[in-house]
Amino acid sequence: MPATATDPLLSPELLGRLERLELVSRKVFRGRMKGERRSRRKGESVEFADFRHYVAGDDLRLIDWNLYARLDQLFLKLFLEEEDLHFFSLIDASESMNFGDPTKLRVAKQMAAALGYVGLCRADRVSVSVLGPEGRRAPILRGRASLWKMLAYLDSVQSGHNVSLHDGVKEFALRATGTGVAVLLTDLMDKEGYESALRMLIGRRMDVFVMHILSPEEIDPPLRGDRKLIDIEDRDEAEITINAHVLNKYKETVQAFMNSAKHFCSKRSIIYIPVRTDTPVETIVTRYLRERGVVR
Amino acid sequence: MSWISTLTPWHWALFSLIPIGIILLYFLKLRREAVEVPSTFLWKKTIEDLHVNSLLQRLRRSILLFLQLLIVALAAFAMLRPGVRGETSSQGRLVFLIDTSASMQTTDVDDDANRFERAKRLVSERIEAMSDSETAMLVSFSDRAEVLQSFTSDRNRLRDALSRAEVTNRPTDVLGALKAADGLANPRRTSQAGDVNDVQVADAMPADLLLYSDGGFQTVTEFDLGNLTPTYIPIGSGDVTNLAITAFSAERNIEKPEQVQIFATILNLGTGQASATATLTLDDELLDASSVDLPVGEQAGLSFSIESEEAISLKLALDIKDDLAVDNVAYAALTPMRNVSVLVVTPGNTPLEIALSTSKAGKICQSEFVPPEYMSTDAYKQRSESGNDDLIIYDRCSPETMPRTNTFFIGALPSNKVSNTDGTRSDAWKWKSEPSSVALIDMDRTHPLMRYLELFSLLIFQGRSVEGPAGSTELLGADIGPMLTIAPRDGYQDLVLGFELISKDADGATQTNTNWYAERSWPVFILNVLRYLAGAAEVSGAPSYTPGDTVRLRVESAISSVDVQRLGDKPISIPVGPSGVTEIVETDSPGNYRVKSGERIVDMFSINLFNRSESTIAASESIELGYESVEGKVAGVEKRQEYWRWLLLGMLAILATEWWVFGRRVG
Repeated sequence: MPATATDPLLSPELLGRLERLELVSRKVFRGRMKGERRSRRKGESVEFADFRHYVAGDDLRLIDWNLYARLDQLFLKLFLEEEDLHFFSLIDASESMNFGDPTKLRVAKQMAAALGYVGLCRADRVSVSVLGPEGRRAPILRGRASLWKMLAYLDSVQSGHNVSLHDGVKEFALRATGTGVAVLLTDLMDKEGYESALRMLIGRRMDVFVMHILSPEEIDPPLRGDRKLIDIEDRDEAEITINAHVLNKYKETVQAFMNSAKHFCSKRSIIYIPVRTDTPVETIVTRYLRERGVVR
Repeated sequence: MSWISTLTPWHWALFSLIPIGIILLYFLKLRREAVEVPSTFLWKKTIEDLHVNSLLQRLRRSILLFLQLLIVALAAFAMLRPGVRGETSSQGRLVFLIDTSASMQTTDVDDDANRFERAKRLVSERIEAMSDSETAMLVSFSDRAEVLQSFTSDRNRLRDALSRAEVTNRPTDVLGALKAADGLANPRRTSQAGDVNDVQVADAMPADLLLYSDGGFQTVTEFDLGNLTPTYIPIGSGDVTNLAITAFSAERNIEKPEQVQIFATILNLGTGQASATATLTLDDELLDASSVDLPVGEQAGLSFSIESEEAISLKLALDIKDDLAVDNVAYAALTPMRNVSVLVVTPGNTPLEIALSTSKAGKICQSEFVPPEYMSTDAYKQRSESGNDDLIIYDRCSPETMPRTNTFFIGALPSNKVSNTDGTRSDAWKWKSEPSSVALIDMDRTHPLMRYLELFSLLIFQGRSVEGPAGSTELLGADIGPMLTIAPRDGYQDLVLGFELISKDADGATQTNTNWYAERSWPVFILNVLRYLAGAAEVSGAPSYTPGDTVRLRVESAISSVDVQRLGDKPISIPVGPSGVTEIVETDSPGNYRVKSGERIVDMFSINLFNRSESTIAASESIELGYESVEGKVAGVEKRQEYWRWLLLGMLAILATEWWVFGRRVG
């Protein structure tokens, strides 16, 4: 069933399945608040980590008195600290994303919502925002109850923020504090290139995931004959006579484009995930993203 | 491979605009359907890879444009008429002789309508095979030769000339055509042959003589080919079917003009037994039919007999589908009673006037009454000299010199003289007795003049017997001697009646000399005179001429123009010359022709082939030209192999492909 704009972004069944997932970060970041995530820092969770000798100034509450009774030495019992995770979803809401059925933008929103919900369920710090100035009003969310806030924000997101990938990411990088997991939901269709944008995210020491969203019409366009192609974003025109030869060449170009993006990402430890809009979100989140280690 | 451009350079210049126009239209009219895509980024990348040269790339991309240009190119190629010519043995000068005689209408050729069309096609093919350095002339011949085109290397003119050639119904005479071809090849000498000082007036120009014919002509002996190299291309086969009517005529019985005898000769000139039904029709009404079955070379005579006093147009047709149709039909006509002009010189003769104006006589005669004094005028002299009157009746008077026509003397004697054996000249006619009463005792009933007459009840008060010159015939005998005598005179006939009809007594009062005028036999006799003596009834049929003949007719000089009509066609008006002679040249089609003045039929004639050698249609394998025997040459006649038809077919195929591609793109 084709998803329309009025359908909820996430179905109740999917929400149920998402609750059992957890965002994975390959890097361990320093959280701001206590969360459900074990941290490298020793802290006050129930999970034991280690012992160490008491030194003056330590919190007396952490002394293992049983051990002191047996060994007559003061040891501190250390527990793993549980922290929260910063999760950023960056949605490219340029006009080019408003293409396909369902639109790429909708798929991006669904992905953002699904991942964001996973984060909210694990008490992570979730930020879902569109690239560009509009992203400033994106709320920072925490806790399962914030789901509706997040969805409301996503619903309000419309296409038409024709900000280049570079500018959008730069704006985000300047605005966002802290590091964490950043998922960039985009079609990478930027005439200025996507490389600088990704580099900027790496530079912020983010754990970056790129979800390359493409519609089947882009991968295998149903076009033939003499056509005048008009760019949705900048109304740029390209006159072309499409025949089998040109079409094959185009497909090769698309494949090469995806390969180069993948290559660029893998060189920089960015997880590159190609997403077709005709694949159901459930499948993407529960299977592809799991396989790629985005969630577990 | 040789080329014949069908367009002039100016045409080519215009033609070259077409492909340019197509390319321009392609770019101007190319309607690209606008489609929105998320980004032209990847497309542009794609095109960039493909682009070497944008324009060429676009052209290469469009198979439609390519196909259209290919179509135009093929059309141009076709218009150049590429072709390959066979072996050539030409001397550079060609003389085409094409036979247009009646036998060329034979339909024994497979691919063409008849032999003539085949010949035309072969000539046309040879013209196409001509190289630019070759010149040719085109001569057609039937019973006369016609140079359709003199020497030229312009193929278009030769083609035009060839298209003008038409097959005729005429017989064949190749000599005229050979003489026409001979002109340049064998220049005439300045003087007698054998003269040491003799020089030729011009250089001889050897030429190839290409004779396209069925060989149906007489052997030509009085001709020297000289520098002409003859090639005979026989047209037609040697195995033919042909029944021909070689004679057809109708004649009136001299005794009984209403009886018409019709004779026909039918000949089998084919190469196998043939049978047919001959049907005789009179004005499209079937009169009689007879069947003939003839072995090869045999002939059969047919005769029919009908009765008619009127002018009749007969047609005899053979109901057979043989190879030559023109000799299966023959035409004959019989003239009606002729309209005769009679001059009556009389001091006054009412019975004669009445007899010449009866309804029946009035139809065939125009009479004019003049007094005896008229004979001294110039008008009379001119009339009697010219012989325009068919008959002059002298009533009780006699001219000084006899007129050049038939005469009828009543109660007077002709004035002509005859030479005696002793050298003296004496009157030809003499009275044999003094005037006395007359009792008729004998009559020659067999003579046409005396037909239907019953004269023994006549009362004749006074008459004299007549003695004519040698050769005269007594038609009516009386107790005192011959009373009506007819005698020939220089091709004319003089009829002399020995008694007057009306006489004058001593007081000059008119008295009747006989009661003949009150008898029924009187107008009948006058009618007989008109028919026989004035020539109103012609016993023989209208003459028949060969197609293409010029028919000369003599009609009454009073008529200024006549309408000549072939039965079934539209009449043609022809002027009559001052002496009453008219010439009719439109005689190419066989048929019955009527010459009319107003509604009156003046004369008739028919046109028939009646030519045994034309009807002998089996093609000869060799012919005799001059003293040379020329074998027929079927193979190896130069012919141009043309490819433009294939190019046009290819063009159509590409056009279809273009449509298909176009349909696939739009659909």
